[in-house]
Amino acid sequence: MAWAALVVAGMFEMFGVTMINKLHKDKSWQPFILLVAGFAGSFLFLAYALQTLPMGTAYAIWTGIGAAGGAITGMVLYGESKHWKRVLFIIVILGAAVGLKLVS
Amino acid sequence: MNREWIKVIIAAFFEVCWVVGLKHADNSLTWAGTVLSIVVSFYLLVKSGEKLPVGTAYAVFVGLGTAGTVLSDIAFFGEPFKPVKILLIVILLAGVIGLKLVEDEKKGEEA
Repeated sequence: MAWAALVVAGMFEMFGVTMINKLHKDKSWQPFILLVAGFAGSFLFLAYALQTLPMGTAYAIWTGIGAAGGAITGMVLYGESKHWKRVLFIIVILGAAVGLKLVS
Repeated sequence: MNREWIKVIIAAFFEVCWVVGLKHADNSLTWAGTVLSIVVSFYLLVKSGEKLPVGTAYAVFVGLGTAGTVLSDIAFFGEPFKPVKILLIVILLAGVIGLKLVEDEKKGEEA
């Protein structure tokens, strides 16, 4: 369950980061409220995952899912660059996260 | 080193504080400290991003944050030192930093 919670926390993080980008473009209340809600959800699930997982592993995976997920969202929804370097780094992040799950 | 980078470093310090708090806080005082650390960390990171390239600032921040949490785990909370695990965390971190630096590179080309 801790690993599932960690993935959900990473997804909330990803949503929060997307809202930060939206807030930079459009300084209004709506993305700000969604941003706070996204990060609140993220911390809630991360706190649950941390009850059983070590901090270093949980934190690295949490930021990794946030960063990789944010880049994938950007590519799919906002037409951001699909440069091979970005794709490579996403694969590196996800591969390392899976590896951490396997050695834990 | 200018003021903006010092903000990034302090933000990373508070980042480690709240991660420790989320795992170990057990009363209202430590939870209050955890929430405060989250707010301070976020605020400083966002502020530094107004002047610094955001991807680079975040890459440094997340690098320090990850190193801090891994070291705190081992130094203060008796987490065993497992080389394979540390290596995988370093690889994951390299991926995150790479992704963030590519973003700044791209913005640089557009500008």
